[in-house]
Amino acid sequence: MKINVVRSVLEAGEASAAENRRRLDAAGVVAINVLSAPGSGKTALLESTIPALGDIRCAVLVGDLQTTRDAERLGPLAAQVTQINTEGGCHLSPTQVAEAIKGLSLDGITFLFIENVGNMVCPAVFDLGEHLRVVLLSTPEGDDKVAKYPPLFQTADAILLTKVDLIDVLDYDAARVREDLSRINTAAPLIELSSKTGQGMDEWLGWLRAQRPGPEDLHAPRGRRDDRGQD
Amino acid sequence: MHEMSIAVDLLRAVLCAAEEHKVEHVEEIEVTVGAMRQVVGEALRMAFEVVAAGTLAEGAALKIVEEKITAECRQCGEVFQTSVLEFLCPSCGQADVRIAFGNNVVLKSMTCRQ
Repeated sequence: MKINVVRSVLEAGEASAAENRRRLDAAGVVAINVLSAPGSGKTALLESTIPALGDIRCAVLVGDLQTTRDAERLGPLAAQVTQINTEGGCHLSPTQVAEAIKGLSLDGITFLFIENVGNMVCPAVFDLGEHLRVVLLSTPEGDDKVAKYPPLFQTADAILLTKVDLIDVLDYDAARVREDLSRINTAAPLIELSSKTGQGMDEWLGWLRAQRPGPEDLHAPRGRRDDRGQD
Repeated sequence: MHEMSIAVDLLRAVLCAAEEHKVEHVEEIEVTVGAMRQVVGEALRMAFEVVAAGTLAEGAALKIVEEKITAECRQCGEVFQTSVLEFLCPSCGQADVRIAFGNNVVLKSMTCRQ
């Protein structure tokens, strides 16, 4: 016999993501999911960003398959850092983030950076309860990646083209990235940046500072989170 | 391989529905998967086979139907169908959309033995 069910399969994860967002909203924390391929410079970006934010206090959740190396790099810089080892898992899940948030003291924290597992497919598919998504694309990866991984770039609130100090060496065609983005995502700014030379850091920090909640919009929706089917 | 975590959630939904309907064995499962989820059908089938082993959904066939993407332009409000390759509004030429449909994963029906 056939039974009609019509039940959302991902509701447990989605409920967990929504709960994370409620918790962070209540604490006045803006959570930023940082996504990219492995080696695009997510940790290097945070290493240069967090000290440059000065008095704005940041916490970091770092997702990796193995090791605590990224947490060790960021530990001396951020107010709090927690490493999540997925032990083979190709993306962070909202329940892993929920567990990690429990261990954080959110008092006085403005930004929670969630450095996802390096991967351009799986992490794009799961809402963690973040408010904003920042996607990195590094020049050595090639100038064709926006067209190859469109859902990742479609969900971005800001896109950082990293390692731009290598543009000349690589004969990199940044115009091709912009051309592809004109069909995928015209709302997110594309910021050309080098964590090594500091190029583009002012623009990135300016964007970031503008995401801080003001007193009246503490609980207002930020970013494009309704894309992920929540709220 | 995010299909594995989707397979785990699918199995949970299937077993829950099977218990409600006092089912003895699940033979076929129909599931719709939003195109934005980037699921590879074969990978989901393989993952489901692994997680369902030893349960009353062991060996159940998966019928996977794709939920197409419906996008709503945030600039002009145009609603249009598209694929994962492009999110360009046919009306205003911007690519700034809310995904109205294309993110859902829904257990639609199960064919069972009672």
